[in-house]
Amino acid sequence: MAEIVCGSRATREINIEIRRAIAAGDRDIVVKDPGARHNLGVAVLAPVRLRFAGSVGYYCAGLSDGPHVEIDESAGWGLAESMLGGEVIVHGSAGNGAAAAIRGGTVVIHGDAAARLGVSMKGGTVLVAGNCGYMAGFMGQKGTLVVCGDAGDAFADSMYETVCFVGGHVGGLGTDAVVESPSSGDAAWLDTILGKHLPEARKRGRDFQKIVAGRKLWNFDKREWKVWQEAL
Amino acid sequence: MCGIVGFFVKDSGGPAEIGRTILGMLRALGCRGPDSAGVALYNTPDDGRLVVRVKLGDDGELGSRARQVSSRLESFAGVGPYSTIGAYARFSVSGETDLKRLTDAIESLDKDFEVVSMGRRLEIVKQTGSPDNLEKTYCVSRHQGTHGIGHTRLSTESRVDLSHSQPFWSHGYPDLAIVHNGHITNYHQLRRRYEQRGVRFYTENDSEVVAIYLAVQMARGASLREALERMLRDLDGSYSCLAATERELGFVKDTFALKPLVMTETDEFVAVATEEIAIRAALPGQYSVREAQVREVRVWQR
Repeated sequence: MAEIVCGSRATREINIEIRRAIAAGDRDIVVKDPGARHNLGVAVLAPVRLRFAGSVGYYCAGLSDGPHVEIDESAGWGLAESMLGGEVIVHGSAGNGAAAAIRGGTVVIHGDAAARLGVSMKGGTVLVAGNCGYMAGFMGQKGTLVVCGDAGDAFADSMYETVCFVGGHVGGLGTDAVVESPSSGDAAWLDTILGKHLPEARKRGRDFQKIVAGRKLWNFDKREWKVWQEAL
Repeated sequence: MCGIVGFFVKDSGGPAEIGRTILGMLRALGCRGPDSAGVALYNTPDDGRLVVRVKLGDDGELGSRARQVSSRLESFAGVGPYSTIGAYARFSVSGETDLKRLTDAIESLDKDFEVVSMGRRLEIVKQTGSPDNLEKTYCVSRHQGTHGIGHTRLSTESRVDLSHSQPFWSHGYPDLAIVHNGHITNYHQLRRRYEQRGVRFYTENDSEVVAIYLAVQMARGASLREALERMLRDLDGSYSCLAATERELGFVKDTFALKPLVMTETDEFVAVATEEIAIRAALPGQYSVREAQVREVRVWQR
């Protein structure tokens, strides 16, 4: 196991150290005292276990493909942004834009997520044990967004094919978001994935609402001008 | 950009080292705002006198200017011993509670004189440059008290000088001060409206209108919480804003959640900052930090 202590070191130096450890064959790396620094563990492309023993700042684990990243406390803006694959687990809360534009992999947030969770997702799975803030799921193209607690206002606005599940109350649906009943297959999938990643949420799949795009904004139709006026 | 911080000691049983903590937080956010740095710190206990901090100009001998202000104030109020440091003089005044009268008396003496803060506990110091510079000139870290707010500024639309730096005192309302990170997009409209009512603006910084707005709301009887909630209705744009009174610290986050603001609360203290890095740098220990949600308003009171 490699241990990297941040101390007074610059972010670049810490990231170089992480890469050096991976190149040397370490598969279990602990970064101590991260102190909410930005840009830690960005673009890690190997299937290693990378643990941050503390809080991280902006863009942690962004652009990564394959690692299992664990953050003991909270994360700042843009957690795992544009991630391609792997797992990112935050034991505290996440700031704005967590899991934005991810293409694959799984992001697990044990606390709450702030605004713009999972915007423009292109794949992957996002799981939140607590609540999520304003505009989660905006313009989601693919993938699945699961919030065990309450969702904020303008939820699932202008989506394509992202599928959302909310266990609590939805503060307000975004434009073209519609509520569906989850199928038995959906409920079984939720039970499995929550059992694996968020057992503390104590939620059963059948307790969730399913929210998808109403597809009204997918193609322009001047007979539906009013829908467009409201959307824009 | 810009960085804002706030620190509030819940029940210290005596003065706490708020200057050191707030300076530590500001240093961590120095890169978000290299243009200027400033703090608004709240003393404890107060002796009932008004503390008046006046900018006397950037050049020359301040002693004679301070004497000039002191003798003007003595003509209608009680004035204790005064001191000068950096670009400021600090007076303590008794027997006069009309803040406008005091302000006018001071500012009519010279066009460069500017009242920077007034209150029974509030002390504002700010200047161009880094938090380290602020410490060098004013020894902020030695300041003890109950709570305070701070700012590091990256100017986007108005001049870089002491007057345009933050925090802003809410002129006319004792002990009320703000720091703001963001843009108030209906600033010109609001400013015009206030100017028509005779309010003087000292700068072209849109953050000043936040200070004026809160002063007007609170002078009408609103609590700090109510005033911050009304901001969401009346001030457009993207903003994270901290405000403090002699007994309170509060924040508001805009209707789009476009500007960052994180917070933590323990049994001992509350810390709020633009980035968590500021809180972790200044406050060791175990606590959890979270981002404020859209339209969130919080106020802590002692």
